[in-house]
Amino acid sequence: MTAHQKIRWGRHLLIAALLGLASHAMAIWAFPRLAMRAVLAGAPAPEPGAAAYFPPPTDHHARRIVMPSPDLLYALCAIDLGAGPATVSADAKLGSYWSIALYADNTDNVFVLNDAQAAGRPVRLLLHRPGTAVPAYDGTVVAMPSSKALLLMRVLVDGSQPIERLDAARRTLRCDQAAR
Amino acid sequence: MAGMSRGWRLAGLYAMAIGLGLASAVVALRWPWWADDIRVGPWRASAEGGSAQAGPYIRALVARIGLLALSRRETLYFVADRDSDGRSLRSRCRYRIEGTAPPARWWSITAYADDYFLFPDEQRRYSAGGHSLPAPRFVLHTGPAPAGHGAWLPTPGDRGLVLTLRLYQPEAALAADPARWAAPAIRPDGVCT
Repeated sequence: MTAHQKIRWGRHLLIAALLGLASHAMAIWAFPRLAMRAVLAGAPAPEPGAAAYFPPPTDHHARRIVMPSPDLLYALCAIDLGAGPATVSADAKLGSYWSIALYADNTDNVFVLNDAQAAGRPVRLLLHRPGTAVPAYDGTVVAMPSSKALLLMRVLVDGSQPIERLDAARRTLRCDQAAR
Repeated sequence: MAGMSRGWRLAGLYAMAIGLGLASAVVALRWPWWADDIRVGPWRASAEGGSAQAGPYIRALVARIGLLALSRRETLYFVADRDSDGRSLRSRCRYRIEGTAPPARWWSITAYADDYFLFPDEQRRYSAGGHSLPAPRFVLHTGPAPAGHGAWLPTPGDRGLVLTLRLYQPEAALAADPARWAAPAIRPDGVCT
């Protein structure tokens, strides 16, 4: 092999190494976004008259999201801020743990509010993208880092209260487009 | 002809490089030896899992085994797939989990199969914790059949076992430094080969 050929193959090997690094980095970057996209795309439509989805209590048939907690009742909303801000409201009057968490499209948990922080007050959130006009709102304003987001409400099932009461509490959740 | 041959060789080289890059990403997420920045006994946790401070690798790992996790301030998630002596957990074996109730508002231990989903159980015995175990000291058994006494989580079949310990609203000192916590021990309950 001539010196010229060695240089040429060295260049090709360098390009190959860069391609390998780039494909590795791309896979690591894309995987959480694809996982969230699948969750958002697969989020069932809300029941008639409701603005959120209320899955049945978790059991061994739940195989959409890994490590489901059997100790929680969930409610969820798939949120799209592409058309403008969205509002979230809930009024879970419980003496036990509940929380409302927001996830960006890269899996980051960017916001959480629990029952202790709510201190018995109804939850009122306005979600928007930074740089968009925010209407006047009597509540907490949350700037989301992505247009697509997932809201997950958790209600603890610890046996201290009837399941019907816990179910009614999660069904106070509503996610709507904000009035302009 | 020679030019085409060289072109194919180059294409093969580049395709192999891309394939190795993708395969190494799969390996990094399938065997995440790099992610356990908190270790307490047999339990492992990620300090940044679920948070906006998470790096790309932690995000990818969260997407694989802990999608929609809460940040550490709200919840600590500990995972164990080995016992206190470092042996892999198997569902066909019986284990005794013993410790002191964690300083958190609410906590539970859940048994998952190695695909990170719940073991089938028509009686819904998937988890036990602060709502069902004695305090402050507790003992919990896992295995394919009950130990005869005490709380028990069924783990049927013969496959890998993954235990998850969830601590909702942990006390501030624990959230700040989970590594100092005396976590529950996981020990074989009888001989299992």
